[in-house]
Amino acid sequence: MTATDQERDLETLDIHVNVGPQHPATHGVFRMVLTVSGEKVVGVVPHIGYMHRGAEKLSETMDYRQGIIYQDRTEYLAQFNAEHCYCLAIEKLGGIEVPERAEYIRVILAELNRITSHYMFVGAFATDIGVYGTAFTYAFREREYIQEIFEAVSGDRMMYGYFRPGGVVWDVTQDFKDRVRWVCKQTRVGIDDLDRLLTTNEIFLTRCRDIGAISLEDAVDYGLSGPMLRACGLPHDLRRVEPYSIYDRFDFDIPTGTNGDVYDRYLVRMEEMRQSVRIVEQAIEQMPDGPIMPEKAPRRLRLPPGEVYMRTENPRGEYGIYLVSKGGEKPYRLKIRSSCLSNLTALRQMVVGQYVADAVVILGSVDIVLGEVDR
Amino acid sequence: MTSPHEGPQEAPIVPPPPGTIADTFREVLPDVEFTATQGTGDVILIIGRADVPRVLQLAKDDPRLDLKYLRCLLGIDHMEAGIEVVYQLYSFTHKHGVTIKTRLPADDLHVASAAPVWKGADWLERETAEMFGIVFDGHPNPVPLLLPEDMTDHHPLRKDNPFAQVEEWQGSRLGPEAAKLGHIPAGYESIAGESGEESSE
Amino acid sequence: MTGREREAERLRPVEVQRPRALYREVLPGVIQAPADFLLAMARKSSIWPMTFGLACCAIEMMSAYMSHHDLDRFGIVPWASPRQADVMIVAGTVTKKMGPSVKLLYEQMPNPKWVLAMGSCATNGGPYTRYDRVVQGVDKLIPVDVYVPGCPPRPEALIEGLVCLQEKIMRDRGSIG
Repeated sequence: MTATDQERDLETLDIHVNVGPQHPATHGVFRMVLTVSGEKVVGVVPHIGYMHRGAEKLSETMDYRQGIIYQDRTEYLAQFNAEHCYCLAIEKLGGIEVPERAEYIRVILAELNRITSHYMFVGAFATDIGVYGTAFTYAFREREYIQEIFEAVSGDRMMYGYFRPGGVVWDVTQDFKDRVRWVCKQTRVGIDDLDRLLTTNEIFLTRCRDIGAISLEDAVDYGLSGPMLRACGLPHDLRRVEPYSIYDRFDFDIPTGTNGDVYDRYLVRMEEMRQSVRIVEQAIEQMPDGPIMPEKAPRRLRLPPGEVYMRTENPRGEYGIYLVSKGGEKPYRLKIRSSCLSNLTALRQMVVGQYVADAVVILGSVDIVLGEVDR
Repeated sequence: MTSPHEGPQEAPIVPPPPGTIADTFREVLPDVEFTATQGTGDVILIIGRADVPRVLQLAKDDPRLDLKYLRCLLGIDHMEAGIEVVYQLYSFTHKHGVTIKTRLPADDLHVASAAPVWKGADWLERETAEMFGIVFDGHPNPVPLLLPEDMTDHHPLRKDNPFAQVEEWQGSRLGPEAAKLGHIPAGYESIAGESGEESSE
Repeated sequence: MTGREREAERLRPVEVQRPRALYREVLPGVIQAPADFLLAMARKSSIWPMTFGLACCAIEMMSAYMSHHDLDRFGIVPWASPRQADVMIVAGTVTKKMGPSVKLLYEQMPNPKWVLAMGSCATNGGPYTRYDRVVQGVDKLIPVDVYVPGCPPRPEALIEGLVCLQEKIMRDRGSIG
């Protein structure tokens, strides 16, 4: 008897497996109910909203300088990138000029934050696959080196609140340039360490190759962005296509994948870390001296009435802020376009038809941050 | 009520310069009425509610527009003036984008769903529906996304939805014993207040 | 019942149980005291927290577990299953949708158990306290033993909170179980 004949003779039930809001794959409070037939997943229903804290509604009560705290806490692994988007949206609507030195500081910190975010991804992703702790420990060690710079500059280890509409709140430390140069060298070593540990490992390859592939057409239809879209082959990076801030002055490549599977997403993110180091090295050489806030910064920031949709390239994809102002010091409506939410809409398509063990790996490769999904 | 904004004003309608995507829209859809304005960065097209399904379908399918990427879908509550639904679209082939807006009257919050056009609109519309109370006709699965699934009568992002009152004393719901302060660790004596007599309800 | 009324049911606080261990009934007091001392020393030296990282504080909690501010040297090993954990470190905002899960996980932990509320969201709702979908502090649902303030608290602050918990375990040894 062939295997399929045996299957047809057996009577089986599809069972529902609840990968509940508390589970060891440390992605936060996400719940999915998998319907499995044997080992194959035939249906998945994701449930989100366990971290819905109302950042959008509460931002309407804060004026433009206070509202930055919600951006930090929404995207709590790439805080500088989220703050950057928020400040750029306000500056675009208000026509505020940012001084050169502040632009360079912002770009350097945002790219370093991209590196820490991707380190976190590699650590958590490897833990999902089964490298129980080794890559995670390496990743956190490397993150600490960069977090020390962030703490020296802004005063906090995580929720920086350092960017302001118009520039940054205070100047960087005296030894900033030396520390950043040292951290760039150290990061190259750290990325190579993780690379040697994981990329050509046979078990890693078997668990990641050809798993969770999605076609480019579907990816565009679902609204994917960031490394997930680039892994499908489209070299769409907002820093190149719609350059914001001073990204058009730097020379960097955009890594793309071919299959759109989990392994390609991992490779794209690893290569993006190296490109970010390149950007930081160029920026730190070009950084001028000068003021860090505009000369005539108003005491009370009022924006003219209007709307703007500002989008930036966050580590997870296209993070957007749709800001509606009706005059006044507080936004009328602040909508956060969450990259993770759009990336997560494609989960069902990627997971159905794979094995249960692969469902966790695919979820890990989407690299979700629940603060951003639920806001 | 959220705090009133000082003199809420609308942005003036500035017609966009020729050669932008508004002209392509006029070519593709000559019989649809819309108002085009040059917003900060993108062109904004304001269309009527009934035209929404046709405009969105042609925006995606027509090769001159090719707006296959739905970036963002949101609602804006204008209180008595209704609720606006905003679609932000982008094309990878032509590298142009547009914002399409439509206003729904406050007493009749229905609009055609964009889920048959873009698969990604499914979740975005579920969220907008639960936050504002809009009904998207033709949506395959109109269940709340971020709120609990049985909470269909609560719309947090509306302007008339109040904020929570800050409750006074921690632990008061667990009864007076749970709220009493226990031993104070060494070195913290100066900040310890009275030991919890005022906690019992 | 509307969604809101059902929610009020779901968010009722847990019933706090104070079970008594068998040895308190059986053994005379002169043996109970050294037994308490040994048990408390054992319990405080190997606290196994349940990994309950909800939001941003979870990242600082993970940093505390990692090599830079090691928690393993205190005997603190993160353990995913609530059935074998001692402490629940509530790291992050508790929303009303998550409330029933928090209560269920607390009830699934065996006695003796403690709760550490990490961060300002778990203490009193934090920066999100004015939003009506947020539970203003996890102590509205479960009894909390140690509060660690901060947004997020530094790993050193979390370590101090855990050391305070160790002192509390030692001090309350006569009244546990």
